[in-house]
Amino acid sequence: MARTRREETGELPEAEAIRLAQQGDPGAFERIYQLHSRRIYSLCLRMVSNTAEAEDLTQEAFLQLFRKIATFRGESAFSTWLHRLAVNVVLMRLRKKKVPESSLEEVTEPDEESGGPRRDFGGPDLRLSGSIDRVNLQRAIEELPPGYKQVFVLHDMQGYEHNEIADIMDCSIGNSKSQLHKARMRLRELLHETQRDRARTARQAAAGETSGEE
Amino acid sequence: MATIGCNQFMELAAPWLEGEHLPEAAAHLRGCPRCRSVVTDLEAIRAAAVHLAAEEVEPPARVWLNLRDRLESEGLIRQPGWAERLSAMFLTVPRPAIAGAFLGLFLVAGLLLGYQSDRTANQAAWLARTQTSASSLGSQLDAAEKGAVSSIRERNPLVTASLNQNLAIVDNMIAMCEKSVREAPQDELTRDFLYQAYQQKANLLATMTERGVNAQ
Repeated sequence: MARTRREETGELPEAEAIRLAQQGDPGAFERIYQLHSRRIYSLCLRMVSNTAEAEDLTQEAFLQLFRKIATFRGESAFSTWLHRLAVNVVLMRLRKKKVPESSLEEVTEPDEESGGPRRDFGGPDLRLSGSIDRVNLQRAIEELPPGYKQVFVLHDMQGYEHNEIADIMDCSIGNSKSQLHKARMRLRELLHETQRDRARTARQAAAGETSGEE
Repeated sequence: MATIGCNQFMELAAPWLEGEHLPEAAAHLRGCPRCRSVVTDLEAIRAAAVHLAAEEVEPPARVWLNLRDRLESEGLIRQPGWAERLSAMFLTVPRPAIAGAFLGLFLVAGLLLGYQSDRTANQAAWLARTQTSASSLGSQLDAAEKGAVSSIRERNPLVTASLNQNLAIVDNMIAMCEKSVREAPQDELTRDFLYQAYQQKANLLATMTERGVNAQ
C-alpha cells in the first residue's frame, strides 16, 4: 500500500501535487520540490554566488512556498509564483546584509586623457565573439558587484522585463536599465581580462618552448 | 543628420541592444570599428548568458532533508509512520535476493500498520496483536536471513565468517529490542528501537551481499 502511494506521488502531475500539498500530503511536497528545486537553486546560486547561501535560500524559498501553498488559487502559473517568491527571498536576504548600491564609478577608472569615462572598449583587435565559454562567463558574473549582478541575472538570464525588475527591486525602470548596461560593460571588461591573461600565458609558454629548443 | 561621438553612442548602446536603432547611432556604428566591437561583444555576452541560464544545477540532497525537517517541525507535514519507514527500507534494499528475504518483513509491517489504525478502537486487542506480530516479525526475519546467508556461503567463505560475526551482534540487539517490545508494546520509542535494529540488519545483509558478489 505504502509503495503504491509513493510511486503514485512520485509521478504526480504538478496540478495534482499542488492540490494534495494544499491538503498537507508529504509526498506532494516532495514532488513539488523535485519539480522545481533545480531551477530555484540555480537562480539562488547565480544571484549570490555562494553554494552554502544558495542552499539556505533554496530551503527558505520552498519553506515559504509550503507555508503559503494553501493560498495558491492558480490565477498565475505556479512556477512563476514560486520564481517570484524565490527572487524576493534572495533580495530580502541581500537587503538584510545591507549590500551597498553599485555605481559605474566603483568599477571603471577614468580616462587619463579626457578625465571622462574610459574609452578603452577593448580595441578592434580583441573580440569576445565566439570565445565566451560557460566557465569564464560564470566566473565573470560572480565577480560583478551585487547590484549589477542582480539586474543582469534577472534580465538577461531569467527573462524579467525592466518594469518587473523595478517592481521587485523597488527602483525606477531607468535605474534597472542603467544597472544592466553597466553590468554588461563590466562583464565585457572582465572577459577581456581573462582573454588577455590567456593570451599572455600562451605567449609565455611558446617563448619557454622556443628557448628550450635553443 | 548630426553625427555623434563614441561617448554619445555608448549612451545609446543599451537601447540599441534592445532593438532601438536610432539613425544617428546607426551612422556612428557604420564608421566606428571600436563601437561595432563593443556592440558585437555585448550581444555575444547576452547570448551566452541565455545559454548559461538554461543550465540548471541540482541542489545537494541535504537541502531537501533539512527542508523536510523544518516542515515536520512546523507541523506542515507529518513524520512517516513506523510501518511506512520499514517498507521504505525494504524498497531500498539493492539485491533481489535480499529484497526477497525482506518480503516477509514488509507483509508483517503491513499488518502492524493495520493494527495501528484500529488501535484507538480497541486498545487491549491491539496490544495483544502487536505482541504476536513482534514475535512473528522476528521469526520471519530469521527465516529470510537463512536464505540470504546460505546463498552467500556457497560463494565466499571469508564474507560468510564476517557476516556471521556481525549478524550475531545485530541479532543480540534485536533480541533485546523484541523483548522490550513484548514487555511494553504500547511504547512507540521501544518499537522505534526495534525498527532501527531491523534496519541495521537489513543494511548489513545488503552490504555483505554486495561485497560477497564483488569479491568473486
